[in-house]
Amino acid sequence: MKFKNWIYTAFIGAAVSFTSIQTSEAQVSQDRYFRALGTPHDPKVQVSWNRYHTNLALEEIMRDMAKKHPNLVKLESIGKSYQGNDIWVLTVTDFNHGKADEKPAMWIDGNIHSNEIQGTEFTLYTAWYLAEMYGDLEFITELLKDKTFYIAPTINPDAHDYFIKEANTQNSPRSGMIVLDNDGDGLAGEDPFDDLNGDGHITFMIRKSPTGRFVKDQMDPRKLIMVAADEQGEYEMLGYEGIDRDGDGQVNEDGIGYYDPNRDWGWNWQPDYVQRGAWKYPFAVPENRAVMEFVMKHPNIAGAQSYHNYGGMILRGPGAEEDLGTYNATDIRIYDAIAKKGEEFMPGYKYLVVYKDLYSVFGGQLDWFYGGRGIFTYSNELMTSYLYFHENAGRNNQDEQMKVDRYLTFGDAFVNWEEYDHPQYGRIEIGGFKKNFGRLHPGFLMEQDAHRNSAFTILHGYHTPKLSVSDVKETDLGGGLKEVVATIYNERLIPTHSSQDLKYKIARPDYVSISGAKVVAGFVVEDADFKKYKEQKVGPEKIHVDNIPGMGVVKVRWIVSGGGNYTINVDSEKGGKATWKK
Amino acid sequence: MKKMYLSLVVGVGMLFSFQSVGLAQSDYPTLNQMTQRLQGVAGNGTATLKSLTKTEGGKDVWVLKIGKGDMDNKPGIAVVGGSEGFHVLSVELALQFAEKLVNENDAALDRNTFYIFPNMSPDAYEQYHASLKYERRGNAAKVDHDRDGRLSEDGYVDLNNDGLITMMRVESPMGDYMPAEDDERVMVKANASKGQKGSYMVYPESRDMDKDGKFGEDLEEGIAFNRNQTYKFPIFTPLAGDFAVSQAESRALLDYLFEQWNIFAFVTFSPANNLSAPLKYNAGDAKKRIITSMLEKDVAINSMVSEMYNSTVSQKAFNQNNQGTDGDFFQWAYFHFGRLSFSTPGWWVPEVKGEDGKSSSSPEVNFLAWASENSVDAFVPWTQVNHPDLPNQTVEVGGIKPFVMYNPPFSEVAAIAQEHTDFILKLAEVSPKLEFHNLQTEKLGNGLTRITADLFNNSQLPTHSEMGEKSRWLRKVRVDINRETKDIMSGDKIKLIDKLGAYEKTTLSWIVKGSGNVEIKAGAAHTGIATLNVKL
Repeated sequence: MKFKNWIYTAFIGAAVSFTSIQTSEAQVSQDRYFRALGTPHDPKVQVSWNRYHTNLALEEIMRDMAKKHPNLVKLESIGKSYQGNDIWVLTVTDFNHGKADEKPAMWIDGNIHSNEIQGTEFTLYTAWYLAEMYGDLEFITELLKDKTFYIAPTINPDAHDYFIKEANTQNSPRSGMIVLDNDGDGLAGEDPFDDLNGDGHITFMIRKSPTGRFVKDQMDPRKLIMVAADEQGEYEMLGYEGIDRDGDGQVNEDGIGYYDPNRDWGWNWQPDYVQRGAWKYPFAVPENRAVMEFVMKHPNIAGAQSYHNYGGMILRGPGAEEDLGTYNATDIRIYDAIAKKGEEFMPGYKYLVVYKDLYSVFGGQLDWFYGGRGIFTYSNELMTSYLYFHENAGRNNQDEQMKVDRYLTFGDAFVNWEEYDHPQYGRIEIGGFKKNFGRLHPGFLMEQDAHRNSAFTILHGYHTPKLSVSDVKETDLGGGLKEVVATIYNERLIPTHSSQDLKYKIARPDYVSISGAKVVAGFVVEDADFKKYKEQKVGPEKIHVDNIPGMGVVKVRWIVSGGGNYTINVDSEKGGKATWKK
Repeated sequence: MKKMYLSLVVGVGMLFSFQSVGLAQSDYPTLNQMTQRLQGVAGNGTATLKSLTKTEGGKDVWVLKIGKGDMDNKPGIAVVGGSEGFHVLSVELALQFAEKLVNENDAALDRNTFYIFPNMSPDAYEQYHASLKYERRGNAAKVDHDRDGRLSEDGYVDLNNDGLITMMRVESPMGDYMPAEDDERVMVKANASKGQKGSYMVYPESRDMDKDGKFGEDLEEGIAFNRNQTYKFPIFTPLAGDFAVSQAESRALLDYLFEQWNIFAFVTFSPANNLSAPLKYNAGDAKKRIITSMLEKDVAINSMVSEMYNSTVSQKAFNQNNQGTDGDFFQWAYFHFGRLSFSTPGWWVPEVKGEDGKSSSSPEVNFLAWASENSVDAFVPWTQVNHPDLPNQTVEVGGIKPFVMYNPPFSEVAAIAQEHTDFILKLAEVSPKLEFHNLQTEKLGNGLTRITADLFNNSQLPTHSEMGEKSRWLRKVRVDINRETKDIMSGDKIKLIDKLGAYEKTTLSWIVKGSGNVEIKAGAAHTGIATLNVKL
């Protein structure tokens, strides 16, 4: 490939100057850097993995990747968001080896929840790592020949930037930018947060009060500690920064959103009274609709990963106990095998089941991918406080957080308390942790965690099916008839059809067909040793196979007449294609 | 028809031409006729006609909004036809309701707003007027109903070339059907426990192109509106599809409804019936996280409305045991949209008693008895055909003609439409109605006045059904006083009330500073807004 490029460049008449630049760039590298293994050493696209990117930067990087790796990365917009932003998908595969949409594929997305923006960076890292390592590592090269990765760094671009650019808490917004009536008063979004001190972060309001239950820690006055039940405190908590804009006696009760984009998916969808955050009907949120339509058009997607924060979790469904029956033992074995391996190389991450280890979710994305499309899907909750000191101090542990800000971030995480005159509360103080602390990785922890999570999706993608015709046996039956038995082997863990898929016939059957021979009868072999066959009477030259199990085989048998050479083709939506020729 | 076109051409007034269609009509309308009549209604100043979307088959999905004044803040009733494409009566009932409303019942618009969705299944509805007639439910989407990777390979086939899809029966010792004892034309399931043995296999009139032993299992029609909604959505089953609300007509309707906050009740003309008798209460199902029984207080409302229905509509209930099917619209409106929701087929086959004073246990036998009494041509006699997939077997095609069991002869429709119009107007009359009573103003001195008033729901319906209270898609009753916060010494500037029951009142009180006029408003879009002007 490099050679071809070189020739091309020579033809257009810039050979001398171009090659000299090439040489000098390589020389620059060689003179200065020593390869740290595991990381693309001399990437064509330079990205800093210790900061967050806005939509603008993201698009620039993605375009650059597509430009610098034209045979490995393609960029497309799969639809528009509510505010008209593009929802970008990077297709990463070896485009010179098979058709991208016919290879077994992984879907990876981030940022369905607006404030959970490291998923955007991690998915981008995965695309970058795969493209940059192609040709450098045999494993990655083969992976991209076999598989396709569809990577959507943000499936919520509107609020991705809103979180970054506007004043927010670390928890807001969760939804996209559609404004609903949160408090049922007939008005939508009439009382959002107010960035009273204008620092771009929504922090806390406290006020001196004789009945307050908190005091400032004398050792570290940033810290508020609760007094004992029989002691007098000094401060009361007033909640997040805001004023009562509509005069209903409540503060911050109706901002943007309300709906939860991760309660909007078409498996076991339930309305808001059951599942808070559900909106009108499945895929009412335009960003999700675009993803759904893409997935429906790409039945080759066999594995999927979505990124959330927070907690250090590898999650699988079911989202709700009512849906327990959907996940059966055969599929759980596969989920377990991949996720338990992931736990080993992702310190701080635990493999958990949503409904029993987290909370109930109806209409969640991972349940639709699995329940609705039969795709093996995980959702990782990125970032865990374990990554700070390799201790399990628990979420929002104030002591630990203060320690982080003192010894690792040196005050970057906290807005110090400052007095403010509030129109309704009078004299208050405003301060607290910034929106980019807590749920989000600090810069120095990002690249490592991005890599480990990418490694997890690479493992997952590797285990999507890989089919081959491993053996063809011919037997002469006499009278001009021959028996042809073809063995189709799936070299990976994931079957061509999950058991959920088989139960509802979501993907079409796999086809094993023979051409170039006159077929008298065709069968699926149920038991080769005891000659149990299931005949297919209609169209026996194209045998419909329900499933090709992971690390397993399926045998197909034909009785053919006449001699000559023939070809056997395997065609599976999720398993890709394989060919054998006599 | 000719007459109508002529009248259009010669430029006679629109209204007149539509009336002439109405008078001349002898059968259920075609889609074009329906559209013309809707445009006729829209010619009235109180009605607006809008196309919500086009279906997969390119047909408009219409809504008529009829009302006056502050329409979006008057309790609304939505009338829905064409939930099922084969139920052509439902479209005509919705249409006639709209016509009668604008032509004869203008006063009903003083207090209520009406939304008429005359036909939610136009693609399927068209089959009634097509050259090949069958009871169609699905729209024009391409769907692999049996999910075998082949698209619609086993649809209906008109084996006897009579332009109708009926049934076929195959003589077979393995059959599980037998002729009914009280009418041999009707095939009924043999009951082994009664020592009966079947002699026929019975299928829809169709072929088995994919040789899977099943007939008519992959129809050449798409998704049925009445199977595509979110409540108990029958995922992956024929006519339902891969996820709920997947179709343009469902989405457009819901998108529209979610912006019409004033609708308090739905009347759907569909095969389900909770008007002849109310839905039943099941405590277990009502208390689960996912509620599948109408809630107790709402069953009481349903009973009250059923009585209203039964005293208005003359037909006596018979075989009315469909109280909702999975993924249907009428249950969605209650369980997922929190509104009062009522459904009726509008007409059903009346009970025909034999000489012994009893009717047949078979609805089909009962129907044929009614048809013969009423000279309705309802049956295609069983006739032998050569079936390409069943060579050397005795195959006969025949059975009850499509549509006739669900749609009465058109001559009966006028009376049915009148009764149902009366019922809907009665339901509108009892819509929640907020009023202020017992206003008192007391001077407290130094410019302060205490205002006290009762807010009263003067209706036998509560402002919120029990399900509606759970739903965030029904607004709370909001009380506003137009004074600045600094001038309100006591009482809320904005107050939200979850619910007022039937004939329930709540007492509101403020102390305000200053003089002049104060305006107090209370209500929600679906209850109407009551206004109280107070002079300090």
